[in-house]
Formats: sequence, structure tokens, C-alpha cells
Amino acid sequence: MNTLSPTTDHAITEAPWIKWSLIGLALSFLALFLVLPLAVVLYGAFEAGINVWWQAITDPDALAAIRLTLLVLIIVVPTNAIFGVAIAWAIAKFEFRGKTLLISIIDMPFAISPVVVGLIFVILFGAQGWFGPWLAAHDLKVIFAVPGIIIVIMFGTLPFVARELIPLMQQQGKDEEEASLTLGANGLKTFWYVTLPNIKWGLLYGVILCNARAMGEFGAVAVVSGRIRGETNTMPLHIEVLYNEYMFTAAFAVSSLLTGLALVTIVLKSMVEWKDERKHKTH
Amino acid sequence: MSIHIQQVNKHFGNFVAVDSVNLEIKTGELTALLGPSGSGKTTLLRIIAGLEQADSGIVKFNGEDITTQHVSERGVGFVFQHYALFKHMTVFENVAYGLTVRPRKTRPSKAEIAEKVHSLLKLVQLDWTADRYPSQLSGGQRQRIALARALAVEPKVLLLDEPFGALDAKVRAELRRWLRRLHDEINVTTVFVTHDQEEALEVADKIVVMNKGRIEQQGTPEEVYDTPSNPFVYEFLGNVNLFHARVKHGHSTIGNIHIPSPEHAEREEEQQGLAYVRPHEIEVLTQPTENAIKVNLDLVTIVGPVARLEVLTEIDEQLIHVELSKVQFKQLGISKGDNAWIQPRYSKVFLGEGI
Repeated sequence: MNTLSPTTDHAITEAPWIKWSLIGLALSFLALFLVLPLAVVLYGAFEAGINVWWQAITDPDALAAIRLTLLVLIIVVPTNAIFGVAIAWAIAKFEFRGKTLLISIIDMPFAISPVVVGLIFVILFGAQGWFGPWLAAHDLKVIFAVPGIIIVIMFGTLPFVARELIPLMQQQGKDEEEASLTLGANGLKTFWYVTLPNIKWGLLYGVILCNARAMGEFGAVAVVSGRIRGETNTMPLHIEVLYNEYMFTAAFAVSSLLTGLALVTIVLKSMVEWKDERKHKTH
Repeated sequence: MSIHIQQVNKHFGNFVAVDSVNLEIKTGELTALLGPSGSGKTTLLRIIAGLEQADSGIVKFNGEDITTQHVSERGVGFVFQHYALFKHMTVFENVAYGLTVRPRKTRPSKAEIAEKVHSLLKLVQLDWTADRYPSQLSGGQRQRIALARALAVEPKVLLLDEPFGALDAKVRAELRRWLRRLHDEINVTTVFVTHDQEEALEVADKIVVMNKGRIEQQGTPEEVYDTPSNPFVYEFLGNVNLFHARVKHGHSTIGNIHIPSPEHAEREEEQQGLAYVRPHEIEVLTQPTENAIKVNLDLVTIVGPVARLEVLTEIDEQLIHVELSKVQFKQLGISKGDNAWIQPRYSKVFLGEGI
């Protein structure tokens, strides 16, 4: 192929001016819609100096929001990772009725508007909802409390890991697992020594995406949280509250923190992708 | 370890993969399950391994019913068509896997495992690959590693599913001779699945010909090749020409010629049937002779030492395949378009019309 490339290059590439205008167009679009807002967030956050920024994020309500967000992540991400592996395993390695239906249902959380998701759970668990009286009788609070927030975020981020793993596991087939079983390994050992190493990069990628989305989830949480300051406000909700109260600097400060977390996620994601690609090249 | 399969059935939806199969495999025997795709041979092999559960029927190892035993407890070595080596493990780790996953009580020490792995790698002549990954090996090498891995657990039965199917012709031929020698050396009861009749004929002690989930015939390679019990086996084991024939008194009559059909010696009444004649069982003559069919030479293909001819009969332009050595063909001195006369030396006639 290499010997052919000089001629094909000429044959299939555009004229330089077209190339450069396209690249220029794409870059200015990126600058306008991605880089500029990011810069504005950082500028807004540090405009009044680092001390004000520090005060804004160490404010008790802000700290409560950060703690709540982290709590949600700690519960939601591992749960969805385990669920995702289980469902991908079932779909890729077994034949059963309704498999196609199951694959479509997994995508549902992506298709439904977050606000609707929030309303669904209010109808289910709210005071006037189906299970409302029962919950009230047992002194359990779901809506306008932390459990409700965890449930809607779990619902919204449920497909990430499964969707990442299903094609991967389908493509890998089940030969290696079967080989492991014939060699005397039980199911658990087979999963641990054979399946997991084969899917680890895909799994990590799914977990990172799930994490990013769980941090930023707003619409559904806004419906079920009740926005009780210091109690049921996650970071995105806290930012909105601050913004509505004209506390722009504080709003930007907390935003910068959330943005920072997002950037870390993107870097991690790129690293995983890079590692994964390298692995595919050597194999 | 002997294997007994009794009345085994397996369905996939409406598809009958294995249909009431009974089979007995003797200890130390190298058996080939031979058949076209969809004949149920792989399913049967997987049922023996425990990778597939039969709908009904019994599988016995050494007389012991193991039908419900889990695959991981059966002690079988299984070799897959596409190797199924663990991609993320080195060759050493792959071969050692069966020993390292054992529970602590029965697991050999690290040194013992290492010794075992290296002796197996020597056996498959790949000792130098221990630290490599499967992706760094060729197909033939991978399959030999897969075999070493299967042998590491000292299986009672070795099962191979189209083991050479993914390899190119030359490596394939080498590997099957090597498998034959290896089997003679370690003498473990072995069953392998193949759709390649040549492979089965060359390697196996016993051939089981399967079609549509049933066993058509079983026997030594010579038996199934020389005395096929039905038209399917005849056609599957090599090329064949078909003629309409009438049989009586140990002779069949095709058109106006007579050829011996000794298996019908007792037949008093004339009966209709189909005569099967292998391409190499036909003699080619350049002079008209009594009892020969006049043909026109339509195509000549020389494949190495063999000449394959396609001839058309003069009467009804029926296509007949003939095979003879290149030397014999050159001696005849005929070429495309020439007339010749052919004489089947032997034919196998199956009675009944339109089989």
C-alpha cells in the first residue's frame, strides 16, 4: 500500500484551499462552542480572585452538594457497572427469547427526556404516587430525598456500561470461556481469569462515561430532589440555585469544579482509548 | 476411556441437530466424525464434551453415566477450530491454565506446573514460544499450543472440533500426520470432527459418517471407502459418476455394456438401480471395444501427477469424470475433441429409482 500512497494522495485529496477552509471552519466552530464557554467558566470562577473561589466552594451548602454528588457516584457507578457486565454477559453469551427486545429496552433511558424520567418516579414513589402511602406508612422517603436522586441517576446512566460491552463481548464470542470450562475452571474462575481481562478496557471506558453523566445529570434530579439546600442539592442543582440568586461568582466557582472533574474524565477516557488501541495493535 | 452414546437427541428450535444417535468409541481409538456442515457432527462432539446438553439420551465414559456432569468435571480436552487461546496470556500461561485454576488442594506446585508445561511444549515442538503471546504465532503453531493446553490436564478423552479447518492446505497436511503420530505416542481416546474426507481417511482408525443428524455408516477408513453402505456415503467419500442401471446375477447393465456388481450375485429378478462408478475405476481406450461406451473428450485438467478428464457420451451427452495418471494419459495420445471408449471396471449399484 505504501508504494501507492503518493499517487492515491493526489487522486483523492482536495485542493489546499478547500482543505484549509474546512479545517478553519471546524476549528472556529470548536473555539466558539467549546473553548470559549470553558474559558468563560474559568474566568468567571477566578475573576474575583482565588480566595473568593475557595470561599464559594467551601461554603457549607456547596460542600453538602459536593458530598451528595460523590455519594451518588459511589453508589450509582459500581451498581451500573455490575448490572452492565451482567446484562452484556447474558446477551452476548446466551440465546434466549426476547433478546432483541431486551437490547432495545436497555436504550430507553437515553430516549426518554430526563424531565419525564423524573416525573415517572414521582408518580411511582411520590406522596400521591402508587407506592406513596406504603412508603409513608413505613416512614420511608424517596421523593424529595437522597434515594430518589440516586434512583433517577441510576436510571439515566444505566445503558453506558452495557452498551459499551455488548458489541465487544458479542465479537469475542464464547470460545475462550468454553475452553476455560473444559480445562476444569468453574464459572466464577472463568469470568475472573478469562472474561474480565478481555473486557477490562471496554468496561473502564463505560464506567468513565457513566461517571461523567452521573455527575452532570440535571433534569431528572431537578424534578425529584425538591432542592433542599444542604440536603438534596447535587452540584448541578446547587449551581442553578446560586445562579438564580445572582451569586454569579459562586455559581461559576462550583461550575469550575464540575468542569474540572469533567476534564479529568475526558483525559482518563482518552488514556483508556489510547491504551485500548495500542493493545489492539500488538494483538 | 471408552465412550458410549445411547439414543442421543438434540434440537435447536425446529432444527434436528442430532437424531437418535448410538455410538461406541473404544479406548485409545482415533475416531473421525465426518459429514457435511449441518450434519450434527460438531453438536455430537459438544454433547460428548458437555458444552451442549442433549435433549434426551445418555453419554457414558467407561460405562459410567456422565450425562448430567458439568463440562468442567468431565476431564475432557477440547480443541477448537479457531484455537480459542487466551489472548491476554502468554503461551506458558495458556498451557498452565488448566493446572493453575485447580483448587489449592489438588493444584501441583509452581515448579511441577512449569515442568509439565515445558514438557508439553517440547511434545508439540514449540518450547521456544513459552513467553510469547498467541497473536505472535502462526495458525498452525496456535493450534499446537491449543492441543498442548488441552493435554495439560491429562484428559481422559481428547475432542477436536475441525482442528485444522482454519489452516492452509500445506500446514493442514503436516499437522494431521503429526496428530496421527502424536496419538500413537500418547494413546488417549480421541474424537475429531471434520468435513474433509481426505483428512478422515488419512488420520482416523475409525470413521463415523454423519448426515442430517444421523450416523450413515461407521467403520475403518478402508471399509467406508471401499464398501459404502448407501449412496450418501458413496458420494461424500470422493467423486463419483452415476448411471441408470439394471442389475441381475451379479452384473449390472448400463446402456449396452455389462459390468460386474458382485454384491448382487444372488439377484434372480432384474431390478432398476443407480450404478456408482468412481472416476479412477474407469478405463480409457482408444479403440472401439465390445462392452465400452463411446465418448468424446471434452476437457483435460492435469493436476500434478493426475490427469482429470471430462468426457461426454456419444449417445446422450452425459458428463462422465475419469481420473488416471498423467503418464497413462500421455501414453493414450489423445487430446481434447478426440473420440475414446470408456469401460467401468467396477460399479456399486444401489437399487431403486431416483435415490
